[in-house]
Amino acid sequence: MSSFATILHKDLRLELRGGQSTITLNILSLLILTVLTFALDAPSRSSLLAAGALWVAMIFAGLAGATQAMVSEWENECIRCLLLSPADRGAIYAAKLVASFIFMTVAQITSLFLMVFFFDLNFDMRIVRLAPVLMMGAMGFASLTTLLAAIQAQIKTGELLLPLLTVPVFIPALISGVKATQAALAGLPFAGFAQWLKILGACDLLFLAGGYLLFEQVVSED
Amino acid sequence: MNTAQLEARQVSKIFGVLPVLRCIDLRVNRGEGALIVGRNGSGKSTLMRILAGLSRPSSGQALLFGEPAHSLGPQQRCRISLVSHRSFLYPRLTARENLEFYARLYRVTDYQYVVEKLLDRVGLGSFADEPVFAFSRGMEQRLTIARSMMTEPEVLVMDEPFAALDAEGIDIAAELVRDALQRGCAVVMTAHDPHQLRHLAFISYSLENGRLVMAHFGSDSEGRKPRPAAAG
Amino acid sequence: MKNRAGQNSIGPNWASWFGLLTVLLVSWALFMVFVYVPTEAEQGIVQRIFYFHVPCAWVAFAAFGLVAIAGFFYLRFGQKIWDDLARAAAETGMLFCSLVLITGSLWARPIWGTWWTWDSRLTTTLVLWLLYAAYLMLRAMAEELPQVGRLAAVVGIVAAADIPVIVISVRLWRTIHPAVIITRQGRHGLEDPRMIATLLVAFAAVTVLWIWLLMLRFSILRTARRLTELGGGLAELRARLSEQEPKRGRQILDLQSR
Repeated sequence: MSSFATILHKDLRLELRGGQSTITLNILSLLILTVLTFALDAPSRSSLLAAGALWVAMIFAGLAGATQAMVSEWENECIRCLLLSPADRGAIYAAKLVASFIFMTVAQITSLFLMVFFFDLNFDMRIVRLAPVLMMGAMGFASLTTLLAAIQAQIKTGELLLPLLTVPVFIPALISGVKATQAALAGLPFAGFAQWLKILGACDLLFLAGGYLLFEQVVSED
Repeated sequence: MNTAQLEARQVSKIFGVLPVLRCIDLRVNRGEGALIVGRNGSGKSTLMRILAGLSRPSSGQALLFGEPAHSLGPQQRCRISLVSHRSFLYPRLTARENLEFYARLYRVTDYQYVVEKLLDRVGLGSFADEPVFAFSRGMEQRLTIARSMMTEPEVLVMDEPFAALDAEGIDIAAELVRDALQRGCAVVMTAHDPHQLRHLAFISYSLENGRLVMAHFGSDSEGRKPRPAAAG
Repeated sequence: MKNRAGQNSIGPNWASWFGLLTVLLVSWALFMVFVYVPTEAEQGIVQRIFYFHVPCAWVAFAAFGLVAIAGFFYLRFGQKIWDDLARAAAETGMLFCSLVLITGSLWARPIWGTWWTWDSRLTTTLVLWLLYAAYLMLRAMAEELPQVGRLAAVVGIVAAADIPVIVISVRLWRTIHPAVIITRQGRHGLEDPRMIATLLVAFAAVTVLWIWLLMLRFSILRTARRLTELGGGLAELRARLSEQEPKRGRQILDLQSR
């Protein structure tokens, strides 16, 4: 477990130093939510639209964040040294995943507040009930993008590849996430959207298992 | 005990259709050094990556401690170190942070002391807390060499370790390599100019057209370079 | 791999026999769809597109399964032949997936009164199409990388593993808004045994057509790979001969084609 902690610590330190991804992610979320408010004609108190906007912000900010997190690893081919080191491949994947999960969560908290302001909602228990939904969404998204961003990082002309790869695969999680968010914002209890949480959980498990098992195939050299 | 620390058996590597390496045989025992000289694009870097276990040969075997290099366990991976043409350093971390990160990853005990000592040794003591992106190419290379020595490896694979180093830097690096050899480390190194290494007793090979041949260009036999290094 | 051309890849004989079978089956299916089977009472003539639409959908899914399986074998055993198979399956699968969307749209216009609706099946097919598109885009962008096969295999496997979750989530998503569409779709109006017979023949015809196309594409990919290998071997041999080492050149050539 120690190599996991070492890599995670390094990623968090890099982040605190440059602050690139978190700040970029937050500003990007703000931007996306602003654009959506205009595009949807400033809909007041519409929890349906708010839920959608929140997930759009999460996906696009998350894509940008995942790209940056992997770029740092490929810049001087540090990833090769990680592979040569005694660190287990699974530990490398897990560390990158947890780092990007943390950055996404930070950005999500910002977008959540922005959403409440922009869409004129109230801070109450409904927002709290959103927490597990958003956490699970971020978990699935981070585990998927950590795998796929490693693919993108190797392709020189592939800046736009990550959204192409990620979004279709993420669709089931997106559907269930948006549905669960809408239900939570509408004030339903957990039981009311349990089926969506189950699907979201299934997606998380699938992406996690896929990422964990296939990460080595993606990062190793021919 | 007949297993060499590092061994290549009939290693070939083909990229697409281009054979880069052809049936390379190489053995390096404890405390021995091998120097591989070749032009740019002769496949030296590819060979180094295969020997370190990063890349797989298309055919043949690369062995470290008698085991296939690309499937070493964590214990064995601790015992090798690679200096590649890419620095493996995080530009946004400081010199010290970079070394400490790798030291912890390699489970070096008492790493703060080791890092401090090595930074002084390569002459970067006063730049320890500068971020690497502010470093010149030569400073980065010194740090890279410090990183590779930190774990006291038993096998050291170095791809152009003296590139971008000034005369002082080369002396420091050569001294570190000599210490490693005395410790019993097996060293394999590439260079395009063998004369930088004249004070290291290395067995010299040259890599030409993907094949490894014995070469003689030590301190005594000046000037028998296989081909001018500038080409390509 | 010193055998003659055609022995280690699917040669012209195989393909032409299969081609003949395809032509026969497709003609038979066309005959049944346009002449033999009675017109469905409610939907009229448009319903006949359904006999091609459904088999195409099955093929699109089967092809994706093959992409994942071949990808898995490629990761497991590393032989390029699996990679070529995965690529051929993805390209042909993309074709049939597009056909599903087009035929579905053509059918939906007169029946549902719209080109597109977010029905669960349509949505699933669209997502499948997007997955194929991503897979093929990756292959196109990473073409020069030696590890392209492995990267593509990873994406193919993740995508295929994702399909069941997609199907479930999209179905649940739509049942929230129950629509006429679902009841309509549920009852395909296959009361007549001739309709069932036609559908079965169409299934066979489209499947065989897919396999034929798959084999053709696969053998082209195999041939292309061998040609580049031979070209490289030849250049290599020439280089060796010019170095007065004919023996070594021969060995390299053998090594290349392994």
